[in-house]
Amino acid sequence: MVTSEHILVEGLSKVFPHRGRPLEALRRLDLRVGWGEFVSVIGPSGCGKSTLLRIVGGLLEPTVGQVHIDGRSPREAQKDKDIGLVFQDPSLLPWRTVLGNVRLPLEVNRIDSHRPRFQPQELLELVGLSAFADYHPHQLSGGMQQRVAIARALVFQPSLLLMDEPFGALDEITRSAMRYELLRVWQTARSGRPKTVLFVTHSITEAITLSDRVVVLTPRPGQVRAVIDIELPRPRDESLERSSQFLDYTQQLRNLLKEEPQ
Amino acid sequence: MTEAPLHEPWEPLALAPPRWNGALRAIAGYVLPPAVALTIGLIFWEVWTRARDISILLVPPPSRVIDRFLDRPGFFLGEGMTTLYEALLGLALGAAVAIAAAVLMAHSRLAERALFPLAILVKVTPVVAVAPLLVIWFGFGLWPKVCVAALISFFPFLVNAVTGFRSVSPGAMEFVRSLQASPLQVFLKLRAPSALPYLFAALKVSLPLSLIGAVVAEWFSGDKGLGLVIFTANYQLDTPTLFAAIAVLAVIGVTLNTAASLVERRVLFWHEAFREQD
Repeated sequence: MVTSEHILVEGLSKVFPHRGRPLEALRRLDLRVGWGEFVSVIGPSGCGKSTLLRIVGGLLEPTVGQVHIDGRSPREAQKDKDIGLVFQDPSLLPWRTVLGNVRLPLEVNRIDSHRPRFQPQELLELVGLSAFADYHPHQLSGGMQQRVAIARALVFQPSLLLMDEPFGALDEITRSAMRYELLRVWQTARSGRPKTVLFVTHSITEAITLSDRVVVLTPRPGQVRAVIDIELPRPRDESLERSSQFLDYTQQLRNLLKEEPQ
Repeated sequence: MTEAPLHEPWEPLALAPPRWNGALRAIAGYVLPPAVALTIGLIFWEVWTRARDISILLVPPPSRVIDRFLDRPGFFLGEGMTTLYEALLGLALGAAVAIAAAVLMAHSRLAERALFPLAILVKVTPVVAVAPLLVIWFGFGLWPKVCVAALISFFPFLVNAVTGFRSVSPGAMEFVRSLQASPLQVFLKLRAPSALPYLFAALKVSLPLSLIGAVVAEWFSGDKGLGLVIFTANYQLDTPTLFAAIAVLAVIGVTLNTAASLVERRVLFWHEAFREQD
């Protein structure tokens, strides 16, 4: 079944039990993400954006509300190998080679051999690391490790990629390079089927550079404050960051993030 | 997939080829200094015992100890092999039971709360106090020695294995779980490799302990082994034999320790402590 929206989030609330004082992370949050869209979620730290991503990814259960991914629950989508996850920490296994890390999902799910998949070697080529297949993670830089994590998330050709501040731990120069690298990988990987990305970040520049739409959350408990369409042409490159349009978006987002909660 | 990357492909760093002179340098750097220090110590010992004319019953000079060893090298090495066999068998047994218990405890807090106090009981009970009991149960054969060595090796393995199986990076755990991995897969792919550094730490603590266990057990129920040699020599005031037996034990201990360190270095090349310096 193909629904008109890839991700449908309805009335999502999440309360964490917290010693007498429950912590309300998300409150009645609604969100729609279309097929093949690149959507960033931005907000002050602690606004529940990571919680939102974890619920969409099936790693957390919502307290109230529903998430549909192409008509399925997150858990079902996860079972279908239709979600790729990338976190801030690349979380590679240090005793495995780069290739071994990318191959890990295939080893864990050996039975479903009929599923569409990328060859691990092919993926390393895609992220520009084919020469490093036999290296171990500790021999790579932080940016290279995160490329391996991205390759690993793409093995089963998921239609949805969830990224939680994937470049948050990188230095500014690497970080900027990784944005365009991600866009390139995204363009290439979605040539076959639509590839939707939900991307959590606290960097305004990152959100504008990457996204079709930027969702701004309020401080905790997280609610949608605004959704900004980023109408910048693709493919995008660094020169875009100096355009007046880009600066307008930056100013707009900065104001939205500055506003005091009601 | 065939689209060329926009960036320059990185060149792999040139890794230094394995060097034999590197091994030689390691020997020169790490083996030679203690060997020289030991030799100097032995020379002083030799001179001191001869100059002061110290009774051979108290402290024999090294030359007499070496003579005694060379009189019957097969005897000393044979008894040494017996003790080594008992110690290693006990170590393996203790480690196996400890790791099995740790697997249980790492997966269930209830099991940990139930079993850990009992493990501490085993730990704080002096093994020497239990040895006579084991003689009553198992007689004079191999098993009382294996049991004492196992008892003494058990606790280090237990503590380290429980910690090791739990010390999995939370991110890696979340990722592997998101792949719908079975508990067995989580254990084999994640928990077991994560525990390896801890298990090697346990091994290095337990190796000398297991030798102690075997020797002590031989004092109580020795039919052979270096423990019995020491016990008999002590009884007969045959101090050179006593020293020779101790020296053989020391060599066995150093060899085991070195072997464990070398294997550890090979297996844990990815661990912070053993990474090659760039």
